[in-house]
Amino acid sequence: MIVVELREDIGPLRRRTAFLFLLVFAALGLLHLRLVDLQLVHGAEWRDLAENNRLRRLPLPGPRGWIYDRRGKVLAENVPSWELLLFPDEAENLNATGLFLARAGVTDAPTFNDRIAERRIGRMAPLVVGEDLSWNQVAAIRSHQSDYPELTVVSRFRRHYPYGILTSHIVGHLQPVSRGAVEADPTLEPDTMVGATGIEVAEDSFISGRAGERWVMVSAVGRQLGVVSEVAPRAGHDVGLTLDVGLQKAAAAALGDQSGAVVALDPRSGAVRVLYSAPSFDPRVFGGRLSRSDWQALQEDPLHPLQNRCLQGVYPPGSTIKPFLALGGLAEGMIDPNETVYCNGSVVLYGHRFRCWRRGGHGFVNLERSLAESCDVYFYLLGQRLGIDGMAKWLHRFGFGERTGIDLSFEASGLIGTPEWSHQVRGTPWYPGEAVSVSIGQGPVLATTIQLARAFAFLASRGESVTPHMVAEPSGTTAFEKIDPDHLTLIINALTEVVHGPSGTARRFASLPMAGKTGTAQVVRLQEGVVADDLAPELRHHAWFVGWAPLDEPSLVVSVIVEHGGDGGSTAAPVAAQVIQAHLGQPASHPDAQSTPPPIRTPDNPQGAG
Amino acid sequence: MEHRIDPWLMLAVVGILGASLMTLHTVSRVVGSNLLLRQLLWGLIGLVVLWLMSLVRLDIYERLAPIFYGFGLVTLVVVLFVGEARGGNKAWIAIGPVTIQPSEFARLATILLAAAWLAHRGGRNLRVSDVMTAVAIVAVPVLLIVFEPDLGVGLTYLPVLTGVLVLGGLPRWVWIMLILLTVLGVHATWQYVLKPYQKDRVLTIFEPERDPFGAGYQVRQSKIAVGSGGSGGQGLGRGSQSQLRFLPAQHTDFAFAVWAEATGFVGGSVLLLAYALLLSRIAKVALTTDSRHGLILAVLIGAWLVFQVVVNLGMVLGWLPTTGVTLPLFSYGGSSLISTCAALGVVQSVWRHRLVNQ
Repeated sequence: MIVVELREDIGPLRRRTAFLFLLVFAALGLLHLRLVDLQLVHGAEWRDLAENNRLRRLPLPGPRGWIYDRRGKVLAENVPSWELLLFPDEAENLNATGLFLARAGVTDAPTFNDRIAERRIGRMAPLVVGEDLSWNQVAAIRSHQSDYPELTVVSRFRRHYPYGILTSHIVGHLQPVSRGAVEADPTLEPDTMVGATGIEVAEDSFISGRAGERWVMVSAVGRQLGVVSEVAPRAGHDVGLTLDVGLQKAAAAALGDQSGAVVALDPRSGAVRVLYSAPSFDPRVFGGRLSRSDWQALQEDPLHPLQNRCLQGVYPPGSTIKPFLALGGLAEGMIDPNETVYCNGSVVLYGHRFRCWRRGGHGFVNLERSLAESCDVYFYLLGQRLGIDGMAKWLHRFGFGERTGIDLSFEASGLIGTPEWSHQVRGTPWYPGEAVSVSIGQGPVLATTIQLARAFAFLASRGESVTPHMVAEPSGTTAFEKIDPDHLTLIINALTEVVHGPSGTARRFASLPMAGKTGTAQVVRLQEGVVADDLAPELRHHAWFVGWAPLDEPSLVVSVIVEHGGDGGSTAAPVAAQVIQAHLGQPASHPDAQSTPPPIRTPDNPQGAG
Repeated sequence: MEHRIDPWLMLAVVGILGASLMTLHTVSRVVGSNLLLRQLLWGLIGLVVLWLMSLVRLDIYERLAPIFYGFGLVTLVVVLFVGEARGGNKAWIAIGPVTIQPSEFARLATILLAAAWLAHRGGRNLRVSDVMTAVAIVAVPVLLIVFEPDLGVGLTYLPVLTGVLVLGGLPRWVWIMLILLTVLGVHATWQYVLKPYQKDRVLTIFEPERDPFGAGYQVRQSKIAVGSGGSGGQGLGRGSQSQLRFLPAQHTDFAFAVWAEATGFVGGSVLLLAYALLLSRIAKVALTTDSRHGLILAVLIGAWLVFQVVVNLGMVLGWLPTTGVTLPLFSYGGSSLISTCAALGVVQSVWRHRLVNQ
């Protein structure tokens, strides 16, 4: 009975269930027919479509930040430029593509083949095979687009340095990122331009933008059909430098075609105003990824234009180190400022005759006259008293033999020769006579222009040490030890006499409110009876002048070397004088304001206001 | 007496899972995450759940149904407040390292309640008040899911209602009315509910070249993938559409396209056969049980599964709009996989207790 009831109850349900499942299998059957249609009937057509389906990944480089000088003059900017990209995987015949590009004048076959050979595998990144294309080249490529679907012209940015040769050592240049760096950092795009030298590399992480990417769909003939997805690139930050392009120009004009270096900085802050190395080079040589021939020429140039003489050029400092040895002698109580020494033009030490630069001698000289007229005999005797270790100790105190810590790379540390150095590094015995040479900045003592600028900034600011910098004062550099202010006053007065004294070595510039020290560094030891002016140009002395202005509250220290310039007072001092003249002609500004870079234009602050 | 679990159904389940794992393995490289291991773990858990659920007697499901249903509604409310959003849908609750999608589990609770209610009711045709009750049981969770908003999962509740109405029985004139109402409802939905991107998806079905890079892009790429599989396929892991990332949502919505591209017509047919086997075994359960409750359970679960299969494959093969309905047992996703296995466990419970009189 119960069973019968159940049967009656469940019967209609079973009929409806059977009906429902019939529908289900009909639907599955239809889907299977669709599969037949797609895969068996039209499979070949869909396969064709799949093969022509091309997604391209276009890297979007993040624009680099701009670089400004302290007055907001643009030192590095981005200008629009056409670039030619090659998607090597899509090419039917890369040789044909290379020939086509060579005919269009975009590139030459060896360069093109090099690019292909160094192509990076594993990233969907196109190769840059043409840069800075002209309109004609773009038109030529576009008109053959269907023959070479693997080529795409894109509008990008190119780095441009408006002051070119004038600031190339400071601002530096870019180079393509190395393969190793790309492999180490997955966010780096191959072919990205990164800083190679100067501020471009020192501030690279700050200046460089972040690359984005765009996936585009292209037809089989390379026509872009649409954008599938895009990650926008991010621009880098701008950088303001302490540099003063106006003064830099004055320094370049003053040096003319002489080789040498000029460094000027604010002794109150260490802000570098001038950093000019001559001869310089045109940064456009490094503009791109392709051409290397000009660069070769620069590298082989006997004048070494690529070397930044301000930081890397090491020279015997000559008489410019005398003020610091005098400070050492005063501190150690070895000289009395009023005590006099008789200079008859030479002195015999260790069995050798050491000459003063003035053949006839200076007569009786005290400390002030010895600096003002640069008497060598006075310092031969001081050096003998201090000994080489005493001189080395005092020179180290003023930063000689050590990097200044400026925020630019490749700085040289110079050298202070000591007996230990002679044994360990040079591998020859130390001769006592070498110490005598060191006392006038000759022999085994080498300094850089920026070291002298920093040391003289210590004098100009009456005992405040600074660290030279282009962007921000670096931390972690040690300050010079304090010096007795009376001793400093003595030295400052003596260096004022160099310019303003009746027989100072730079008295030609007495009209300017400056002080300083001349120096003449021998390249070769003068033979008996030879006059320095008769030497061949490449053997002439290096000319130094390091000084500051104005006399009260100095705001600029200038350090100048003219290679093979001869006498410091007559070739280096005029360069410094011209820079100081340009500086004093400018409106004075507060030291704090000077050390602050100009407003920086950043992505968050597009106008650079405030 | 109890019977064994149906080996044919298990064959279909394990076969589909195996194909799914192979597909997910080749997709892992593209998606950039190891989907295989996680899905394998979910699959094993799912099989255990299937077995456990098959042990439970039907009268226990009947008694527990209101509790499950109530709990399901609570989780659907909770997810609206504490849910994690993924791709705009706030549908996941994070518990430690796992995230659970309550809407997948609430569906089974809805089926259990609807089946218990309908089995208890008896009678030839449904009355108006019965229809209202059936609609209410399904509509409450659906409304909560639409708030998330997860249109795809919400849609999968509709076949449950349809199943209830068909099994419960309606006079012919009511069916005619319902069809009319559906037409009006679709029109109203089109006019007032659908967002522009959803309309786009529907329109591109009829006109795929309308927007080849927007709504039509996915469907077009999917068709290219399936079609280019040809008869024998391009080989696992060698399908250009999937490996070159033309294909969207490769591990979820369009997983079948990856399979069809790799294994071609042969593999596609095998997978379709596996689903046909699965559904025919569910039909066998429904048609052989002597239990009214068991029959209803099997039909409702079968209706849900076949709906997902048809809607997903219809989308992958370019017939239906992209709705976010996944392919059961095949698409990546733990909640979906385990809830499907649990539902099959319920079907197996019906099978094992088919001669038990209730």
